[in-house]
Amino acid sequence: MAIIQVSQLKKSFGSLEVLKNVSFEVAQNDVVAVIGPSGSGKSTMLRSLIHLEEVDGGSIRVHGEYLVKDGVYPGSQKIRQITARMGMVFQHFNLFPHLTVRENLEIAPRIVKREEEAQIRRRSAELLEKVGLAQKADAYPSRLSGGQKQRVAIARALMMKPDILLFDEPTSALDPELTGEVLQVIKQLAQEQMTMIVVTHEMGFAREVANQVMFMDNGEFIESGPPQEFFANPRHERTRAFLQRVL
Amino acid sequence: MSLDYLITITIPMLEGAQMTILLFLIAIVLSIPLGFLITLMANSSIKGVAWFAHTYIYVMRGTPLLLQLLFICFGLPLLPVVGEYLVMERFTSACVGFTLNYAAYFAEIFRGGLLSIDKGQYEAAQVLGFSKWQTYRKIILPQMFRVALPAVANESITLVKDTALLYAVAVPELLHFAQTAVNRDFTIVPFFIAGVIYLLMTLILTVFFKKLEKRLRFE
Repeated sequence: MAIIQVSQLKKSFGSLEVLKNVSFEVAQNDVVAVIGPSGSGKSTMLRSLIHLEEVDGGSIRVHGEYLVKDGVYPGSQKIRQITARMGMVFQHFNLFPHLTVRENLEIAPRIVKREEEAQIRRRSAELLEKVGLAQKADAYPSRLSGGQKQRVAIARALMMKPDILLFDEPTSALDPELTGEVLQVIKQLAQEQMTMIVVTHEMGFAREVANQVMFMDNGEFIESGPPQEFFANPRHERTRAFLQRVL
Repeated sequence: MSLDYLITITIPMLEGAQMTILLFLIAIVLSIPLGFLITLMANSSIKGVAWFAHTYIYVMRGTPLLLQLLFICFGLPLLPVVGEYLVMERFTSACVGFTLNYAAYFAEIFRGGLLSIDKGQYEAAQVLGFSKWQTYRKIILPQMFRVALPAVANESITLVKDTALLYAVAVPELLHFAQTAVNRDFTIVPFFIAGVIYLLMTLILTVFFKKLEKRLRFE
């Protein structure tokens, strides 16, 4: 059953058409790697799923509910209710620099969801343990490496118990030797059946962890498929050309 | 020059310094929130509101504080019809003048602080479900204040020294008593004492803000 259904998404920045009729579906427990050249619209597509961008046309349905229908958005209350089921991890982490690692994790459940304090504490400890940063709980983000920051950002997103996690090039701002620790965490989430959409340049990751690879080029959805098939027999000429450049 | 003499001239100056400190405290406590309000207005999407805030800042920064003080103290009561309701105690009108003037400077300082905050901070707050108000209160303001702190410290020290303008609207303060002693006794010692008292006040502020900056370093 599709958890996200996107149809005919259109978006322009001025005269530049960044999304041209993009349609696809994501099923529960899918791990989708979105690949494609820079400027192909991958990030814009991802950001529009969680309403960081507003599209000009097309529809997005999450759990069957319309985030946008034929380019028309519902009220802000409805939008918040729908996007609350998703979490997002950014290329540049976007941790809150004035809060410690623990506070970064706990602030949203505390002030947005008004959860019980003991419960928040327990979950933040668990999640920091899970991403291997329990000993950094009281550190400020400025004291962390890029890889550690990104792991905190993932834990922060998980604190809100999202059904779907979106990643916008989660390793692109990292030194190569630090990408492994972040990809490891994402891999673990995949094993736990988290539904994820990951915009990435890491072909190894797409091949190993994703169960769907989706290729975008020039604002268009070109093709998608399971990684073995996708990498072995790309159907489309543009996909072949891209893979030849990056592999 | 006897110690007795020094004490005799210093005591009225210290009493005058109380006026200085009182004005400083009133102006700082009122102008920082007012300045922040003007920052928000300047960033408003409602055109008229933003225009008002920018004009306010322009006028307040573009004319001398001394002129503004004289205007409020002696000018407002001369206005036709409403003038008679605008007569204030001189100290009160000085407080109004300082607050309105410093609010404009603080507004610009805070606006600079807001501009320095990465848009990723707003986006992170949005995807975590923060309302606009929560985003400002919990994420943006603390960071803005941290960025603005050195400039706020600078402005506060300027305010201490600007209180000497009370002299112009004939409210007796530190400098007034120094000047009186100089004229009366034909000595420049009172000026030195006044200088030392100002230095002590600014020293306290400097240390206070240094400590605050250290506490808000987020490391």
